[in-house]
Amino acid sequence: MEKIVGFLLICIVCVSARESTYERHCVPCHKELPVKIDKFFYRYVLKYSSETEVKHAMMHYLKNPTKESSIISDGLINRFGVKKKTMLSDDALSEALDTYWETYKVFNKLK
Amino acid sequence: MLVLKSWDTNLRSREKKTLWSFLFLYACLVLISLFFVAFLYYDLQRELFLQHQKEALSNLTNEQITRLKTLHVNFDKERFYPRDERFNSAIYDSALHEIFSTLNSKNVNLYDDIYIKDHKIYYIKELESYYLGARYIALEVPEPAHWDKKIYRTLFLYGGIIFALTVLIGYFLLKLLLRPMRDAITLLDRFIKDTTHELNTPVNTILSNIEMIDPTQLDPALLKKINRITIASKTISNLYDDLTYLILSHHLSSHDETVDLKLLLEERLEYFSLLCESKKIRVSSCLEENVVLSIDRKKITKLLDNILSNAVKYNTVGGSIHVELHDGLIQISDSGRGMDASKTKHAFERYVRFDRSVGGFGIGLSIVAAIAKEYGLFVDIESKRDEGTKVSLSWKK
Repeated sequence: MEKIVGFLLICIVCVSARESTYERHCVPCHKELPVKIDKFFYRYVLKYSSETEVKHAMMHYLKNPTKESSIISDGLINRFGVKKKTMLSDDALSEALDTYWETYKVFNKLK
Repeated sequence: MLVLKSWDTNLRSREKKTLWSFLFLYACLVLISLFFVAFLYYDLQRELFLQHQKEALSNLTNEQITRLKTLHVNFDKERFYPRDERFNSAIYDSALHEIFSTLNSKNVNLYDDIYIKDHKIYYIKELESYYLGARYIALEVPEPAHWDKKIYRTLFLYGGIIFALTVLIGYFLLKLLLRPMRDAITLLDRFIKDTTHELNTPVNTILSNIEMIDPTQLDPALLKKINRITIASKTISNLYDDLTYLILSHHLSSHDETVDLKLLLEERLEYFSLLCESKKIRVSSCLEENVVLSIDRKKITKLLDNILSNAVKYNTVGGSIHVELHDGLIQISDSGRGMDASKTKHAFERYVRFDRSVGGFGIGLSIVAAIAKEYGLFVDIESKRDEGTKVSLSWKK
């Protein structure tokens, strides 16, 4: 029995290790919101245009989230409030933003 | 009178040449100025044309932006870039990376708002909201055919009229400016021509009268004086001949005939004999029989006279002249002052003189060179200072 529990634990650790930072730290929270995570992405794109500027704005907001620097509507902020400051390191945050960009970017998706 | 006429023609042709040269330069300058003005005019008209196009293209761009907005909102469901048969378009992010393009050209200048390239008009607009991340949108429409035809027509018509008028004004202005100078030159030339012409009659009179005098009837002192007069008259006569040749050289038609060179050389040596005697120059010759040349008699005589005249003129008192005639070669050598070997190549240039101790204008050898060139004769000068000069005249047999 102990062997089986041990094996299951190892499997869980392995699976969670293969999940990216974005999947582990971003997707779960956004799943609970009525607005999908891609809508936030396109709001950023609408305001900041290029990859560098979008990522820079996101990084800035995640590290210092305020009502003023948020790109979502006042209604959503009033309802869900401003998110908490991220606990992730800069490297982990960059990695998560890279995955986010690659997942929803417009480049090479238009026909 | 023939001399006068030819001199006039010469002057007119030179004036004409100057006039054409000036007109050519003037026309070039006018053309450059006209091209510059035409370029500015064309550029202005092109700008006006593009301003008109800009309004229409701006409306098309707004239509495309509306479609991009719709696509941005529905991007999770729809991924088809909006197309329009009236134009091609492309979108770029703020880092100028192409997001999507249906343009024919890959290189679009996003810093210009409207321009023409490869017969296509490109219109660039910056978006207020970056739908799909697009900060810039570029529209491409074909350039309307022959839109600049009217501009070119206007340019050619007015440019041509202005050019013709300016050249005409330049022509009359130049004529006006040249008139006083032309009058002065004409006056001066007429004076020179008349003087030269009038020189011939008295010189010929002197020479023919001297020939009529029987030397045996004269006492030695008078004979000596008569001989001096003969020499001086012949020198003036030679000078007259040279001047006449210079004036008429381009207008004289040649009357080629078979000339027996031995007879001619003997005749010319006889002509210069008095001059040689006056300087106690010994003349020797070795002339082959039956050496002939098909040439204008007056010209070959002029050529030989100039070489012989130099041989006498630059010779020392008591010196010598040796003349040789072979088939294809005449050599006239003297024991005169000679010249530096390095200077011989310049001896044929007009007005070039290396020894100013004797009279002359430096035109003799240039006449020799001109005649030799006309008949394909080769003239060679060998000279050593204080030893003498040898002039060789050769031709292909």
